[in-house]
Amino acid sequence: MIDRFQYREDREAYSAARVKALEALLIKKGIITDKTVDTVLDFFETKMGPFNGAKIVARAWVDPSFKDRLVADTPAAIAELNLPEGMAGAEGEHMRAVANSPNVHNLIICTLCSCYPWPVLGLPPYWYKDPTFRSRAAREPRAVLNEFGLPVPEAIEIKVWDSSAQIRWFVVPERPVGTEGMTEAELEALVTPEAMMGVAIAKAA
Amino acid sequence: MKLQHYLGGLEGLGPVSTETRVFVETWETRIFGIHTAMMALSSQLPLPRTSSTFTTVWTWADLRKGAESLNPFDYFKFRYYEKWLGGISGYFIYNGYITAKELDALTEEYYNDPSKSVPAAGDAAIDDRVVQYLVEGDSPKRDTNVSFDFAVGDFVSIKNVPSIEHTRLPGFLRNKNGTVETVYDGAYVYLCDTGTDGIGAAMPVYCIRFEPEDLWPGNAEKNFSLYADLYAHYLEAPAAASAKQAA
Repeated sequence: MIDRFQYREDREAYSAARVKALEALLIKKGIITDKTVDTVLDFFETKMGPFNGAKIVARAWVDPSFKDRLVADTPAAIAELNLPEGMAGAEGEHMRAVANSPNVHNLIICTLCSCYPWPVLGLPPYWYKDPTFRSRAAREPRAVLNEFGLPVPEAIEIKVWDSSAQIRWFVVPERPVGTEGMTEAELEALVTPEAMMGVAIAKAA
Repeated sequence: MKLQHYLGGLEGLGPVSTETRVFVETWETRIFGIHTAMMALSSQLPLPRTSSTFTTVWTWADLRKGAESLNPFDYFKFRYYEKWLGGISGYFIYNGYITAKELDALTEEYYNDPSKSVPAAGDAAIDDRVVQYLVEGDSPKRDTNVSFDFAVGDFVSIKNVPSIEHTRLPGFLRNKNGTVETVYDGAYVYLCDTGTDGIGAAMPVYCIRFEPEDLWPGNAEKNFSLYADLYAHYLEAPAAASAKQAA
């Protein structure tokens, strides 16, 4: 019997020690500094992240002409907003937004790896990277969305976007009903990464 | 073929994960940071040189090549960042930056004493370059004149190119037909030359719409469509495809 599907009992502790050893060696050899990894992580907490996507979506909700421009030329529309430096940066060099409507629901996938628009969504969550999601969303998106708790009626067309070249996609969900009196900042708080990938819709809190 | 190139549409997999965390273990944040730093310090980028001793190329393509070259059973055995840790460690060893022996020995030390900290050292210019990469990215768009063989609305056939190490052509689209939805402006390269697979030099990229009933006859859901961005090399006119079949 081969041990192909056995893991070390101390799987996580071992990986933690190994990655720490790797980081330590890279610092010692002058490849990176002792601050490099924290610098990267800090960038994702403050500059690149779903907070940018939420701002873009909230603006699209309050300004339909911005939404049209966003779908027509995503980078140009994003450039209109006062977002942090880096909004055209790594993994966001070529982004395209697709908007949900009463007739269309969009879903973003990457069947080959985990391509994801870092500047507007941050880093991809586990479900997006999971081989089961990547396989099944391509053929049975409605069944998959049901498992996320999002039933999509058959009358609504689902468009699935597989990120197989350089475009990084994100979804502009529909503005939830009951949010008419809300400010743009209040609306931002309703936008989740899941809604911007199409496995959820935005809901009034 | 590699099973990992043919993920789209596999059956019998059971429920999806709905885990919304990005990292499920703290150690995963560290390998993510290392990978991003390597992309930023990679030698092909037109960024200021620093004192970093990293002198080779590391892009997404290198990470993907590593994962796609795994035995398929290992690919599905290891969790996402476990594959990263294996691939990245292997790269540093293979390129002579570190030795397997010193990595194993130091792993043992940190395993026995997880509170032991990493050494303090480094030149701030290295971190400046990492941030500069994050801000500027690494656009694959090139200012090259290319010819566009297809226009919006054209029916196209997808080739079944011989992909060995790495491909950007999902397996479930091979030998299928689709319709051009978008012709992207300009020409695009890929992060590496994929060899017999055929992408490397700047070429057009098209967004192609597929009908699920054509992809999985009798076994697809109703009222949805699938779109994929594909490099021009993966496309041909349906006539060329049928001529090849007849030959």
